[in-house]
Amino acid sequence: MKYRKLDTFKMIFRQIGSLLIILGLTMTVPAIVSLIYSEYYSLVGFVISGLISMLTGGLLYYKIKSNYEPLKRHALIIAAMGWLSIAIMGSLPFIIIAYISPLELLQGFIPAGADYHSSIFFFKNPLHALFESMSGFTTTGLSMAVHEPSMGKGLLFYRHFIQWLGGAGFVVLTISILKQPNGKVSYLLYNAESTGERLKTTIIETARSIWKVYTFLTLFCFLFLIAGIYFLLPEYSLADNIFDAINHAMAGMSTGGFSTLDNSIAEYQSQGAEILLLFPMILGALSLPFYVRVFNLKQYNQLWKDLQTKSLLILFVIGSLVLSIMLYISGTVSEPFRIGIFQFVSALSTTGWQTSDVHIWDSASVTFIVMAGMIVGGSLGATVGGVKIIRVLILFKGLFWRIGGYFKSEESVNVVTVNNHRLLPDEMNRELASVSTFVFIYCVFLLLGTMIGYYTMGTGFTLKDALFESASAQGTVGLSCGITKPGMSPLLELTFIFQMWAGRLEIIPLLVLFRSILFGTKPFLT
Amino acid sequence: MRIVIAGCGDIGYYLAKLLEQEYKNIVLIDSQKENLKSVEANLGIATILGDSTSYKTLKEAGVDSCNYFIGVTSVESVNVLSCILAKKLGAKHTVSRISNMEYILNKDTLNFKIIGIDDIISPEFLAAREIEQILKEPSLTESTEIADGKLKVIGLHLNDKSRLIGKSLVESAKFNRDNSFMIAAINRSGKTIIPHGKTIFETGDYVYFITSDKTSGQILEFTGNPLIEIKNILIAGGSRTGEYIAHRLNNNFNITLIEKDQAKCNDLALRLEHIQVVHGDCTNTKLLEEERIGNYNAFVSVTGNSETNILSCMVAKHHNVDKTIALIENIGLIDYSQNLGIDTLINKKIAAANFLFKKIIKGNKLSFLYGIDAEIMEFTLHNGSELINRPIKELNFPENAIIGGVIRNGEGYVTLGDFELMADDKVFVFSDSQSSNKVLSFFE
Repeated sequence: MKYRKLDTFKMIFRQIGSLLIILGLTMTVPAIVSLIYSEYYSLVGFVISGLISMLTGGLLYYKIKSNYEPLKRHALIIAAMGWLSIAIMGSLPFIIIAYISPLELLQGFIPAGADYHSSIFFFKNPLHALFESMSGFTTTGLSMAVHEPSMGKGLLFYRHFIQWLGGAGFVVLTISILKQPNGKVSYLLYNAESTGERLKTTIIETARSIWKVYTFLTLFCFLFLIAGIYFLLPEYSLADNIFDAINHAMAGMSTGGFSTLDNSIAEYQSQGAEILLLFPMILGALSLPFYVRVFNLKQYNQLWKDLQTKSLLILFVIGSLVLSIMLYISGTVSEPFRIGIFQFVSALSTTGWQTSDVHIWDSASVTFIVMAGMIVGGSLGATVGGVKIIRVLILFKGLFWRIGGYFKSEESVNVVTVNNHRLLPDEMNRELASVSTFVFIYCVFLLLGTMIGYYTMGTGFTLKDALFESASAQGTVGLSCGITKPGMSPLLELTFIFQMWAGRLEIIPLLVLFRSILFGTKPFLT
Repeated sequence: MRIVIAGCGDIGYYLAKLLEQEYKNIVLIDSQKENLKSVEANLGIATILGDSTSYKTLKEAGVDSCNYFIGVTSVESVNVLSCILAKKLGAKHTVSRISNMEYILNKDTLNFKIIGIDDIISPEFLAAREIEQILKEPSLTESTEIADGKLKVIGLHLNDKSRLIGKSLVESAKFNRDNSFMIAAINRSGKTIIPHGKTIFETGDYVYFITSDKTSGQILEFTGNPLIEIKNILIAGGSRTGEYIAHRLNNNFNITLIEKDQAKCNDLALRLEHIQVVHGDCTNTKLLEEERIGNYNAFVSVTGNSETNILSCMVAKHHNVDKTIALIENIGLIDYSQNLGIDTLINKKIAAANFLFKKIIKGNKLSFLYGIDAEIMEFTLHNGSELINRPIKELNFPENAIIGGVIRNGEGYVTLGDFELMADDKVFVFSDSQSSNKVLSFFE
C-alpha cells in the first residue's frame, strides 16, 4: 500500500470530526439547563452551536473514508489540532448568544442598581469568546466575563460544564464513547492526551473507568458542597445553593476555577465556605488513575504507597504555611493565613479560585506561589496543569542520583527507585531526558509569555504581575492579578490562549504539530 | 528402611556415603555407567543403571516399598517427574532437588505435596543458608546448630596467640569457668582426633567445640580468635547463591555485589533492594581496589568457578578483609582451607547432603562436618537404660567417641566427666567414623 500525504490529512481530520460530534452532543446539557431557567435565547444558541458542531464533525467523520492507521506523531497532531478545534467550536455559544439575546433581557440578569452592562456583550468579540472557551476547556479559569452572574444561568452553567469536560480529557471522553477501528489507535490517542497508564486490559475500558470515577467524585463534591453551604450559611437560598454547588463541584473537581459568583469565592465572605471549597480542589489535584486503582481496582495500599499523592499532600501543607508566613512578613494582606492557605491550594491544584487581590502582594510571595505552586502543579494524570509534581520529583531524584554517582565506582549499576519502580541507569537517563526537556521548554514558554506580557500589560503592573499571569495561563491555573480583562491587548490575549492550549497538552504535541506544518513528517537526517 | 537415590552426582554420592553406615538397604540409580562405577568401587551400595523416570527402572529399584525416594540428578524436571512417579508407585516420602529458588521461597503457596513431592531442596539455597549463618556469627569458622540452637557445634582454628597451645585437654578445663563448653574433636593436618585427657593442643589445630553459650565469647578469647563484627559485605558472583545471600542479608548489612555479566547485573539491580551492584570481574584487582575492598569486613566469593572464588578470596585476605568465604566444587580442597588462607570453604553438595540427613531422614547421625572424619549422632535415653544416673567418666564409653551434650527439658547442657545422664535425655555423641558402629551398639 502506498502512503500518500492526503491519506494522512484525511485520517487526522476524521479523528477531529469524531471529537466535534461528541462536543455537539454535550451541548444538549447546557441547553436543558437553559430550558429549566426559561432562558430561551441561550437555548437557541446552544442548539445552533451543537448542530453546527455535530454537522461539521459528522461531515468529517462519516464522509471522509480513510483506513490509514495513525502513528504516534499523528496521534500527537490529532490531540493538538483537536483541542484547538474544540476550543473554536466551543466558543460558538458565547458568540451566538451574545448576538441574538435582546438587550433588555440581558439587563434583567444584572442586580438592581448596578451600573454595568451584562458581561455577555464582551463575547461579541470572537477573540474574547475563544479566550473564554479555551480557558474553559483547558480548565484554566481566566475569564473575560467581568461580572459572571450577568451572563445568565445557561451560559454560566456552560462555562463550568466545559471545564468539567476538559478536565478528564476530551480525547479520553471520545475514546470511551466512539468505537475506534482497533485498540492501538485508542491507545495512541489516549497516550497523546493523558499519562498513558493502561489500568484495565483495554483502553476503552480504561477511559470509561476514568470517566466513571471522575463523575462519581464530582457527584460526591456536589452533595458535599450543598450540605456544607447549607450548614454554614443557612440564609443562602436553596436554589442558588444547588446551582452554585453543581457548578463549583464541576469547576473544583476539574481544577478549572470558574465561579458562579461575581467575586469568585471571596463573595461568600465566609471562612467556613473557603475551607469547604479546599476539598474539591485537593480531590481534583490527585491523579485520576490513582482513584481508579483505589476505588475500582481495590488496590488500597496505593493510598499510602503512591509517591505522587503522598508528596502532593505534603507540599499542600508545607507550601501553604510558607506562603502564609511570607504574606504575614510582607504585611500586604489582612489575614495572611486564611489567604495563604486558600491561595496556595488553589495555585498548586491549578484551580484558580481567588480570595485575594494578588496585585497588591509583594514580589517574593508572588515568586513563591509561581515557583512552588503554579509551575509544579498537581499529579500527573489529574485534571491539573503545570509540569506535574512527579516530574519535579524525578528531577530531584535525578539530581541526587547524579551527585551520589560520584561517590561510587564507574562500574556500579546505580538503580533509582521512582514511585515504587526500580529504574536502571539507562531507563533513568531516558526518563530524565524526557522530563528535563519538557520542563526546560515549559520554562522557556513561561518566560516568553512573561516578556510579551511585560510589553503589553498596560500601566500599573510590574514584572511580577506579568510573570504571575503568564504562569497562571500556562499552568491552567486561572488566578489573575488583573491583567486579564476585556480591554487587554489582543496580542497578549492571543499569547495566553496559546499558553493555555500548550499548557493543557504539555507543549510537546504542539511542537510536533508545528514541526509537521513547517517541515513535513519526514525524519531529519544529520 | 529402604532408601532409593536417583542421580549419582556429588550429592547422591555423599548422601549415600553418609547413609551407608546406618542403613543397609540403599539403592542408587543413574543413567551413566561411569558414575556408578565409583560407587561400586568405594561404597557397598546397590546400583541400578537406568533412567530414573522409567517405570521399569523404578520398579526394579523397589520404589514401591521404599521409605525415602530422593531425586538429586542435575536436571530439575527429571527429579520432579521421578518423584511424582515414585510417589504413585508407593514411596512413603519423596525429596526432589530443584534449581529454581522461587519454588523454595514460595513453597507454602505452591504446595508441592499435592503432586507427590514431600520436600524440595536446592543445594544453592542451602549453601547460601550456611554462608548466611557464618556471616551472622562471623568470628566462628564453622557453626552448626543442634536441637534448634540449644546447643552449638563450632569450629575454630588455634593460632599462635591461643592460650591452649601446649596445654593438654585436662589443663584446658580451667578455662572453662562455667562448664559451658567442651572440646569434641580436633582436625590436625587432615587427621581427625577425638581428644582424651592427655591430648596436647598445637598451633594450627582446627578444634570443634560443643557449647551451650550462645555468644561463644569465652571460647574466642582463649583460642586467640578475634571477635569480628561485620558491617560491609562484598559478594563476588551474582549466582543464585549470591543473589539469595544478598536477598537475605540486605537489611542488616551494607552489601556490594560484583557480577561479570552486564545483563545479569541489570537484572539483579532491579530485583535486589538496598544492594549496590557493580559490573566487573571479581579477579580484576584494580576493580577491587577501586571498590575499596579493604573497607569490607567480609568477602564472599560464589561465582560458578572454584578457582576464581579461591583466587579472589586470597586477594581479599591480602587486603585485610576479616572474613573470606569461597564456594568450591572440589570437596577435597576443604582440608587445605587454612593453607590457602581462606577462612571458610563451602561446598553446596555437602550442604545438601547434610540437610537431607539432618532434617529429612532424621537418623541417629546428625551432621557431616567439613574436613573432618567425624560425625555427630543423636540418641534418646529410655527409662531403665544402664547409662543413666552415673557420671559419664564411669560409663566405659567407646574410644574415639565422646558424649558432647544433652538436651534435657528443652535446655542444652554440656556434658563433662561428672555429668550424670537421666532418662529422656537427648544425648549428642561425637565420634570418628570408624567408631560410630561401636557407639550405635553401645546405646542399643
